[in-house]
Amino acid sequence: MSGAIGARAPRLRDATLVAGRGRFVADLDLPGQAWARVVRSPVAHAALRGIDIDAALAHPGVVAVLTASDLPDVRIPIRLTFAATPEAEGVLQPVLARTVVRYVGEPVALVIAEDAWTAEDAAELVTLDLEILDAATEVVAAATTGAPLVHAETGTNVLNTIPMQYGDVESAFSDAAVVVRRRLELPRQTGVPLETRGLLAEPGEAALTVWGAAKVKHFNRGALAELLGVDAATIRLVEVDVGGGFGVRGELYPEDVLIPAAALRLGRPVKWVEDRAEHLVATNHARCQVHELEVAATAEGRLLGFRGTAWVDQGAYVRTQGILPALLPATHLPGPYRWEAFAQTTHAVLTHRTPIGTYRGPGMTEASFVRERMLDVVASELGLDPVELRRRNLIRADEMPFMYDLGPASPPIVYEHGDFAEGFEELLRSAGYDELCTERDRRRAGGVHVGIGVAATVELGAIGPFEEATVSAERDGRVIVRAGVGSLGQGVETVLAQIAADELDVDPALVEVRHHDTADVASGFGTFASRTTVVAGNAVALACRALMEQAAAQGVGPAELGEVTGRFDKPHPSFSFGATLSFVSLDPETGRTTPERHVVLHDVGRAINPALVEGQLAGAAVQGVAGALFEELPYDETGQPLAVSLADYRLPTAAEAPPVDVVLVEGPVPDNPLGVKGAGEAGMVGAAAAVANAVADALPATAGEPLVLPLTPRRVSELANGGR
Amino acid sequence: MRAPPFAYARADSLDDALMLLSEAGDEAKLLAGGQSLLPLLAFRVVRPTHLVDIDALGTLAGIQQVSDGLRIGALTRHDTLARADLTGGERLLAVAASHVGHVPIRMRGTIGGSVAHADPSAELPAALLALDAHVLVRSATGERTIRAAEMFVGPFTTALAPDEVLVAVIVPTVARSCRHGFGEFAVRSGDFALASVAVVVSVDGGNADRARIVLGGVDATPIRATGAEAVLTGSELTDEVIDEAAATAAAECDPAEDATTTAAYRRRLVARLVRDALAQARDKGSG
Repeated sequence: MSGAIGARAPRLRDATLVAGRGRFVADLDLPGQAWARVVRSPVAHAALRGIDIDAALAHPGVVAVLTASDLPDVRIPIRLTFAATPEAEGVLQPVLARTVVRYVGEPVALVIAEDAWTAEDAAELVTLDLEILDAATEVVAAATTGAPLVHAETGTNVLNTIPMQYGDVESAFSDAAVVVRRRLELPRQTGVPLETRGLLAEPGEAALTVWGAAKVKHFNRGALAELLGVDAATIRLVEVDVGGGFGVRGELYPEDVLIPAAALRLGRPVKWVEDRAEHLVATNHARCQVHELEVAATAEGRLLGFRGTAWVDQGAYVRTQGILPALLPATHLPGPYRWEAFAQTTHAVLTHRTPIGTYRGPGMTEASFVRERMLDVVASELGLDPVELRRRNLIRADEMPFMYDLGPASPPIVYEHGDFAEGFEELLRSAGYDELCTERDRRRAGGVHVGIGVAATVELGAIGPFEEATVSAERDGRVIVRAGVGSLGQGVETVLAQIAADELDVDPALVEVRHHDTADVASGFGTFASRTTVVAGNAVALACRALMEQAAAQGVGPAELGEVTGRFDKPHPSFSFGATLSFVSLDPETGRTTPERHVVLHDVGRAINPALVEGQLAGAAVQGVAGALFEELPYDETGQPLAVSLADYRLPTAAEAPPVDVVLVEGPVPDNPLGVKGAGEAGMVGAAAAVANAVADALPATAGEPLVLPLTPRRVSELANGGR
Repeated sequence: MRAPPFAYARADSLDDALMLLSEAGDEAKLLAGGQSLLPLLAFRVVRPTHLVDIDALGTLAGIQQVSDGLRIGALTRHDTLARADLTGGERLLAVAASHVGHVPIRMRGTIGGSVAHADPSAELPAALLALDAHVLVRSATGERTIRAAEMFVGPFTTALAPDEVLVAVIVPTVARSCRHGFGEFAVRSGDFALASVAVVVSVDGGNADRARIVLGGVDATPIRATGAEAVLTGSELTDEVIDEAAATAAAECDPAEDATTTAAYRRRLVARLVRDALAQARDKGSG
């Protein structure tokens, strides 16, 4: 044990990246490469009667123009098989639209030219013969009878209706002293990595190499092989530096098939780098849900029943994550509380908009906003401090393990360990809740609109099924670790090196973590769902332990053994506790909300690298606050997207980022050797909920309730001014 | 997001630029700081046949007092203007310039570019109108001046002819003895303003004697709130008078609605901004 675990080590790539010497896919060029430009649908819904490519083909410098008829008729498969349904399998996305276009931005053709400028010029010369059709552009309206159908053959836009239930809901509501009903809405948002997607595909004698992979390389290699009809062994996916993932980067998109297919067809390297305008319509969107729900409680504030209906937008096609965007909110609605009874019906709905996938804290962010806002409404109805209401209902350590069996649509939700009530108290202590209340009351007396909001949350993470890692001790003293994970800027190489160094009692600088190349790393489920440190980290630890045991048993030095494998199985996901406090001030006239303090607490089990965990939590918190106040992908009634640049999609700048305090809770986690829990998304999960609650608290007593995100200045101003 | 093809020429002098511009025809554009033009090219919203680059013409940059007022060369960068030592109403230009975009934009963007681009929500056109400034323009055939009130014709449309180059902005001497106020509301720091207000007031014996209140971002061009100006004329700038002017300005403008904002909200912003800008003018707007 070298003490490497627990060290605040800087990320291994930081010096390189800060010096501008990173190597991103856009930085790569190959001799003889051509550039691709995707021709996309300009309308939300139309019959595609024909594509005229003659003018584009005749343009000087154009190499080829591909349309659907040049490609096998294949669909992008669902990666997460537990989120696949027969209905979802029926509405998977083709690589290029064939007879119908279903959202603005859908790929229709691919122009390949000698350079990027020519490709973009020629793409404008491709003309589409479109018969414009009515579009379903709003999630609840799309679910009604008579709405324009996204896929005519399904007969409805309601792809799946998922019931989840626990306990006797009818009697919970009939016994209640108070019942509150509200409708809450979350907008379309998305993770917007500063680096857009990009690919460089090179056909070779031995293999087709594709640079630009991220997140789930090994799955994508297999799926790509199947779609192209070649042996997976002849495909190599390589990850270079990746400028952010947030759930959206690295999934298998139509372009991930198109660009390699073009390279194979042309026999030369083909490069594509998504531009920002494309990114905002082509890369997965997320959130976009409407919830109608009721909460029942006793006069003392004991939570009795939860009953809700949600309409969750899936967009125009189901992509690689299946109906997970619709499943996750429902399983997170009970949260860290005891409910006597719970019933939730979720409609997964198709609309003529960009397909929906997961974005940092998927489902859990939405569920937390919905539930925590409702709890504040209940508290207000009961005349109870919102903090006190939570205290009375949070699950305590002596109730663990705690289980919600929500019926056949979901595996049971099991909270294995933790002390949610105590975690919440820790947040209040760390944030100085009592002093903040005093400050709020003092400033309020002076006419300033200030408010405090809290949220208690659970986060699903560390999902399996397993991960394998290998470790080998080299004769020169280096240690080489291989694991099929993705580096998205979060510091996974650093953390895995710390784990190996600690286990083997060596200097972390001697550990080289290889993860980036499917030709070099045999397998891996990849990096998502806050799973990498838990699942791959434990696999690395077990490989190191196996190496030392085998060396001892055989009486040889570790360097004599070659590569030793460790495997960590994770049959059940983990739920970890988090809590957030937000302190805001606002101007009721302009509606400007200023988050003055933001405190996020998360149960990480054990921090392998506290600096990196804190950075992840703070970064996610800033992203979450921006989601609460700014970010939105609106569409007009014809299905045209209105946020088509970063002038419209309002990412926070440094000026908007609130100061964030991070509180790490560490404690024994029995289910894995390292004793760790997932943390990468946790800062997001309660952010919108806490900020919205703080805004509600800060608004004048006569104001409306904040029930629709984001709480832009206009919306807050309208709440404070009678809805106008 | 790559520019469509265009011909590019770099001018060595103003005369050279005028010649290149007249040769290139009606679809040519001048390129100065490029802070609006390059993004528009990248989005292919504009498709000029020729770009005439005047960015390096040092003679077009700089701020000086001249006989009829303050002369600001067209290529003066926003950052330079924001830091300039200006007094009285002239300071409005510095304050307005400091609100343009972000630091990198202010380092390259120019006053001439902003005025010629005529974005309805831009700060400097509103300031020019409030200051009753005029612009000096030149073509191969001569020179003329255009008053700010005639310069802004519509969104992204000015009175400039295709062969004319904006050479300088002239602020009349009287501005120096006036008071000023400025404010804008943008969702994020550096965003295009949902509304902005520039005011210039001359105060005589405690009463406002001449007032110009200009609203930006709420119409096709910056507009004067003449009703609100009338409220001020001859009155002491009390809180009550300021409130009445603010309410009048909000009522007399007619902001557009779009998917993310409403006319009612923008009117509320206008009232607030007018109130704050007039209070600034009264309390500290002479410095």
